[in-house]
Amino acid sequence: MVKASRPTRADYYKVLADSLPPQALVVTSLGNASYLWAALHHAPENFYFEDAMGLALPLALGLAVAQPKRPVIVVEGDGALLMHMGALVTVGAANPANLTVLLIQNGVHAASGGQALTNARLDLAQLARASGIAHAENIARPDALADKMRASTARDGAECLVLATEPDLDVVKPPIALDPVVTKHRFMTAIGAPRYVPILFGGGKLDQI
Amino acid sequence: MTRLRAEQRDAHRPSEILHTLKRLGFGAVVSVPDGWLGEMLVRIEQEPSMRLVRATHEEEALAIACGIRLGGVRTALLVQNAGVLSMGAGMVSLAQRYQFPLLMLVSYRGTPEDPVFYHVPKGRVTEPVFRGIGLSHTCADRHRPIGPQVEQAATFAEEASSPFALLLSREDVQW
Repeated sequence: MVKASRPTRADYYKVLADSLPPQALVVTSLGNASYLWAALHHAPENFYFEDAMGLALPLALGLAVAQPKRPVIVVEGDGALLMHMGALVTVGAANPANLTVLLIQNGVHAASGGQALTNARLDLAQLARASGIAHAENIARPDALADKMRASTARDGAECLVLATEPDLDVVKPPIALDPVVTKHRFMTAIGAPRYVPILFGGGKLDQI
Repeated sequence: MTRLRAEQRDAHRPSEILHTLKRLGFGAVVSVPDGWLGEMLVRIEQEPSMRLVRATHEEEALAIACGIRLGGVRTALLVQNAGVLSMGAGMVSLAQRYQFPLLMLVSYRGTPEDPVFYHVPKGRVTEPVFRGIGLSHTCADRHRPIGPQVEQAATFAEEASSPFALLLSREDVQW
């Protein structure tokens, strides 16, 4: 739930950078969710969204399904979630234990200038639980996020942590070019994903690099 | 395999689509069903080599498919044409912008062969909208075996690094 005196996105991101599990893959939503993460912790295993609001969560679900042995962490905003709330239900149904959803609840559409949400006071953790994600809770402090990220107990399903956050409306300049195709190829190379070999070269199928 | 057996197998075109997906190494299918696709999805769920993800909305399904392909698994979308109409923003700003190769198997409702009054408005605009959003596509030829057509569509998607939609009729997909 959104309350006064909330931490910033940067406060949570610093904790996340310090507590990332080994082999983690990180998907970040549009705007500062990606720009700030690139500034604080750029890595080939990051997949940055340029736009496509509301689709970071379902993309991360697909990634978690395809890479079940690697932790997948997605940073999505409350406004983006409201655009595709059904994705929570799909996450709850598939329930991959390697997926952690970090929901930035700042109560506004920050990436487009801070317009009001349709409803800024939803209990998103309760909504996640009702959608089938049993491990869901509201987080109000960065140290609580650190505790959750460092928890060694294996989960039996996806986790959703709702981070009460102050809106950040000043656009952060990322230190790298966030070219979408470069982002994709860099990511797929980093995880050793099979690549398609064109027919001209005797392929026509995916081959392990 | 003898020619007769091959023809017998192709006589049931939905089986041939499933067989082709398995042969090409598709590890996942993401779908929002319609009346023609329902039984096909049940069969996919029974395939040990494939994972079916049932999404709540086609644009969400598109993003899930992109994520699975990002993770290195060949992925097909199985949706109705109306669903492609509702995934336009994600199509251009995610799938096409990031150049994800996705095979889209699309039930083509509202054609002259499927003149259901509430499907007709969607059928009328399907191909013009596909052209408008730059979605490469073709209609399956009912006089040719469907398996090779699925393979060609899948190959086009990979060679072009983009989604490709194969529009399918009732006999192609209804089990």
